[in-house]
Parts: sequence; C-alpha cells; structure tokens
Amino acid sequence: MTVTATTTSPTRGTDYTSNTPVKRRRSVLPLQFRRLQDRLVAYGLMLPATAVFVLFFYIPAAYLLYISFFHWSVLSSATKFVGLANFRILIHQPLFLHSLLTSAYYTVVMIPATVLLSLGIALLLKEAVSSRRRGAGIWRGAVFLPHVTPVVATSIIWVWIFNPHFGLANFVLTHMGLPALGWLESVHWALPAVIIDSLWHSLGLYVIIFLAGLSMVPRELLEVARLDGAKRYQIFRRVIWPLISPTTFFVVLLSTINSWQAFSQIYAMTGGPHGGAGGPAFATTTDALLVYQTAFVYEHFSLAAAMSLVLFGIIMTLTLVQKWISDRVVFYR
Amino acid sequence: MAEIVMKNVSKHYGKKEEKAAVEDVSLTIGEGEFVVLLGPSGCGKTTILRMLAGLEDPTAGEIWFGDRLMNDQPPDARSVGMVFQNYALYPHMTVYDNLAFGLKARGVPKATIKRRVHEMAELLGVGSVISHRPKELSGGQRQRVALGRALVRDPAVFLMDEPLSNLDANLREQMRLELARIHSHVKVTTVYVTHDQNEALTLADRVVVMDGGRIRQVGTPGDVYAKPADTFVAGFVGSPGMNLWTLEWEEAGEGISLGNGALQLPRSFLPVLEAAGRNVTVGIRPEHLGMSLVKADVKVACNAEFFENLGSHTQLHARLASTQAESPDSDSPRLVARLDPAASIDSGERVILTAPAGAVSLFDAGTGVCMEDENAGYIDSASRYSPLVDSTLRDRPLT
Repeated sequence: MTVTATTTSPTRGTDYTSNTPVKRRRSVLPLQFRRLQDRLVAYGLMLPATAVFVLFFYIPAAYLLYISFFHWSVLSSATKFVGLANFRILIHQPLFLHSLLTSAYYTVVMIPATVLLSLGIALLLKEAVSSRRRGAGIWRGAVFLPHVTPVVATSIIWVWIFNPHFGLANFVLTHMGLPALGWLESVHWALPAVIIDSLWHSLGLYVIIFLAGLSMVPRELLEVARLDGAKRYQIFRRVIWPLISPTTFFVVLLSTINSWQAFSQIYAMTGGPHGGAGGPAFATTTDALLVYQTAFVYEHFSLAAAMSLVLFGIIMTLTLVQKWISDRVVFYR
Repeated sequence: MAEIVMKNVSKHYGKKEEKAAVEDVSLTIGEGEFVVLLGPSGCGKTTILRMLAGLEDPTAGEIWFGDRLMNDQPPDARSVGMVFQNYALYPHMTVYDNLAFGLKARGVPKATIKRRVHEMAELLGVGSVISHRPKELSGGQRQRVALGRALVRDPAVFLMDEPLSNLDANLREQMRLELARIHSHVKVTTVYVTHDQNEALTLADRVVVMDGGRIRQVGTPGDVYAKPADTFVAGFVGSPGMNLWTLEWEEAGEGISLGNGALQLPRSFLPVLEAAGRNVTVGIRPEHLGMSLVKADVKVACNAEFFENLGSHTQLHARLASTQAESPDSDSPRLVARLDPAASIDSGERVILTAPAGAVSLFDAGTGVCMEDENAGYIDSASRYSPLVDSTLRDRPLT
C-alpha cells in the first residue's frame, strides 16, 4: 500500500458534507412490541414496592381519614357519621392539648441536642479518621451500635439506669456531689430521662449521616482555607457548616418527624408491669402515645384517627416550614 | 518574595514509610523566579508542592523560605498562595467573598479588603462577575478567581498545581500567556507543577524535570530541551520525544558508522565514542532530521512505515535500516522525523535523512547519562525543517 504525505486535492463538486451514517444492528422485534415489553418490565419491577405501600400505607391512611368522620368501633359493625365532632372533642380535651405540648417540648429539646451532639461526634470521628488515629473505625462502629439494638430492650436497661434508688444515673450524680433525682418517678425529670434514652439510641444514625455529609466537603477547600489563614472555628463556620447545610437540614427534618412520632421508648420506659404509660401524671404522654392509648386502651378509634390526622397536619406544616426556610438558608451545590 | 531552599528533602508514605514519593531532593529557587516542576504522573512533583505549602510534612530534609526554616510551620504561617488543579473555590461564596476570605481570616480592615479585592478583580478581568458564584462562571473565569484568591494576600511564595489542566486547548494557551503577564507584574517566587511540557517550556525561568521522586535535570527551558541530562529527559521533553537508539559503532573510512551503517557520524565524535565503549545511545530530535540537499554531517538510513499529517508538518514513522539488511527489519529501532507536509514518500521506501552534527546527543548506553560532547549544542531554527525532498539521496547506500 502506498501512503503519501501530501493531502490529495478534492475534486470539483466533492460533497464535503456527505456523511454516511453507521448502521446499527436492531432488534428483530417490532418497535411497538419492544416499547410494551419495556413498560411491562418497568411496572413489574415497581410492583412489589408499590403493593407494600398501597396495602400497608395508603389504604390504612385513607381508612384513617374515613373513620375520623365517623363513630366507629373495631368490635361493632355499626358506624355513624359524625362530621367534625371528633375534632371538636379534641379541641376541648385538656389531655390532648397537654400531649401536644409534651410532644413539642420533646421535639424542641431533641432537635438541637441531636444536631449538636451528632455533628460534634461526627467531627471528632472525621478528625480521628483523617489523622489516621488507631481505633477510629472501632469508635465509628461503637457510636452506631445503639441504633441497631432494639429500642424496647435498651429502654428497659435505661429504666434500671434511671432507678432512683440503685440506678447508675443517681450513683454518678451523688458521686459528683449533685442531688439524686427521681427520674422516671418525677413529673419534672421523666421526660428528660426519656429524651436521654432517645438521644442515646438515635444518635448513631445521625452521626453516620453527618459523616457522609462531611466526607462530601472537598479536602482542597479545607486546605485552601488553612492556606488562607483561617483558624479551625473559622473553617468550620465559614466553609464546613455552609457546605453541610443540606445534611443538617435532612437531620433536622428526620429528627423532627421522629420526635413527633416517638412512642416505643416512652411506652417501654414509663409503662412498666402495671401499664399506664405516659406517667407520672401524664408527664410523658406525647401525642403519639395518646393516639395509641385512645385507640387500643380506651377503644375510641375514631377519636384516635382524628388525633392522628392532627399529628399528621402538625408534622406536615413543620416540614413545609422547614422546607421554606431551607430554600433560603441551605446551600445546594 | 522569598528564596526557597530545599535540602535533601524526602517524603515517604506507608506504615513503615516504605513508599518513597520524593527522594533526596535539593533545590534552590531564587527570589521572584518562576520554576516549573515537570514530570509524568506520580513523579512526586505535587508532593513537593504540598510540602512547600505545609500540607504535607517532609520525612527528611529541610525547607527554607529565606532565612526561616519551614518544616514545623503550619500552612497559614508560611505566606503561601496556592492554586489547585480543580480551582478549589468556595462554592457557596461570591467571587468577592472568595477573594476576600483570606484577608478577612487575617483580620485585614474592611476598607483595605474592599480596595484590594477590587484591584485584584480588575487585574484579572473578573470585575464584572464579582457578585457571581463559582458555578455561574466559565472555566477561565474560575481559574482567574483562583489565581486572584492566592495573589490578593501578597504571598511570599506562589504555588500552582496543574492550574490549566481543566481548561480546553485554546483557553489553556490564553491563560498561559495571562500567567506569564501576571508573573511579570507581581514578580512573586512561583513554583508551578505540570506534566505539560509546553507550559513548562513557555512559562519557566527554569524547569525541574522529575521522575520516580528524584530530580533528573534542572535548567533553563532551552538547556533542558537542547542538552538533556539523560535519556529520560531526552525522551520526556519534546513532542514527540527525542529519537534514542542504542547502537554499536565502528570507524568507517572518513566517518563513523553505527548500527551496521544505519547511522553515520563525522569523525569529530570519535573521542566521545571511545570514552563510551562499543555501544552508545544516540539521540536526535525529530525536527532535526530532514531530507536536505545541503551537505550533511549526520546521515540516518531508515525504512518508512507510515505518516501522520498534522497540517503544519508531517511526522514520518520509520525504522532504522542497516546497509547489510536486504529487506526492512521489523525489530530494528524506531524513528520519528518531522518533515515538511510536501514530502512525498512511499510506505516501505528506504530513505536517508540528514541532521547537523550539533543535533546529536550521546548518552552512556548503560546509565543513560548524557556524555560531554563538543559537537552538541543548540540548533538554529532554520535548520530544523528541511522542506526540500532530495530524491537523489533515496536508496543510495551509505558510504
């Protein structure tokens, strides 16, 4: 074969734009049939998850909405439309309003405590990992471990810890020269005790979420900030904090929802063998607990359904407010 | 501005520090000098830059900025400005805030910050986008902001880690000129890391060629190109790199024959060759090979294989051809020559290329180190391209 170094002059009339497309091998199936096949596969893949959602979430939610307007009992077939009567009862029910305040108290303490503690621990773990400290991986596992243990089991342990007579909590307090507390037997300290348990149990999850967020902050930005002369707190305040704001927003959102729905730990810690969870003197009766007690202890299902809807409305409103704030504060890259 | 002195600096990684990224590097960079660290990926050039910035601690050796030992100084105490490969702009801040961040962190008065940021923005041509965030900027604008952020603090040392590698070819060329202009304006001691030899040769006062964590050659761009210290530098610098052939030599009549007549050198090379032993590595840059009617000192016989037409010139890919070989030998050493685009040679054709004696570099065949040679030197640009095709030289045996 001869190869010449000079470019051959194009002949007059050469079509420089001619461009023969490369032919691809196509499936032998007709186009419409292939589209139908693709759709069937897509719906087939979605079906299991959709079925679970519809059966265990949407249908019960719709039914909940339905019975909130009726006088309905699980033991009786007689149902009676009562309109907004269930909601009117709630407005005039002091215990319901008290439960909302208790839930709000629980949430207001839980959210900042969750964010500050989990972010603090995540920063320490990140520092330990980046400086290649020994045992950093073990600490990370240890922090996450409480979250994977059953909440009821750990709550029972915390009941022992908060025992006013021989619990570890008062043992530590008295050794520090502080007065012993009544904890779960005290109207003032029962809810803080539950909050401590909830924090201990949930913190691991939020630490992992913050660790993921921190790992998304490019190393170069931290290095360039150091070169720029920024101190540690300036780097955190001006670089890390804005860049992990989406993570913080997610943690706040998740923590808000979980706090308003808190049930298991309260039931396990304040119920005891004699029942009557939410005590002492309704000090730990949150909205979610009251919904359960109204439905399954006092068997007022319609009233519990109305309570649930109010709870749903509160969580929905808070979420939308947070979303509105986040759109103005959170920085998405 | 500061003079940088590195004394026997090493950096090892691994649990037992068994992996050497930088090994026994000693280098002095003068005040206001623009030095480029050039080398392939993994050669340790970025590690040196990070050690200068204080982002990595050297395993051994000393780093001095002027009369201050920097080994234990944190990055913020070094007065270093650094531009990263991916710009590392704060994505949540405007251009103004990016430029002002370092000044704010150091407690500079607000009025001074405002003045200096606006001056820097104007110098770099980003004044019109000062309230924009990085994602709203083009690649070139981001690059300028990154430069400005490093320069606005008046650093004693300016470090750049492949700052142009994310730009397209046209913008890279434009920014290269811009960098040269900025450096001539601010005259700050600059260390620039790149694997792009065009950047290195056009920007640098001196080029430091690195490989395997060690410095292979330090010199002006002209020196590094024309007088490579060893075969690595000869092969790495230049595109394509220098042709390198390890051949056996013998005296033949009035000249010297190498590779059984594939290469012919004048007798002036004899003292160097005698010092080298029977085998020597000969290097000639592709652009110094040509097909000339002018009486040539050096002749290279080869069999053409194929061509690359690059518009401004044609690259001939061939193999050396000894006089004893009856037919082209696929095992003989490769050769690349940069010829005039008008050159018309057939594939498989035997061609004799010529070069001036000054274009030949000789290296020790064992160590690869360049041998002192009075013939070696700069080639004037006029003799680099030989547009004349000398058909009379074709197929003529070397004598």
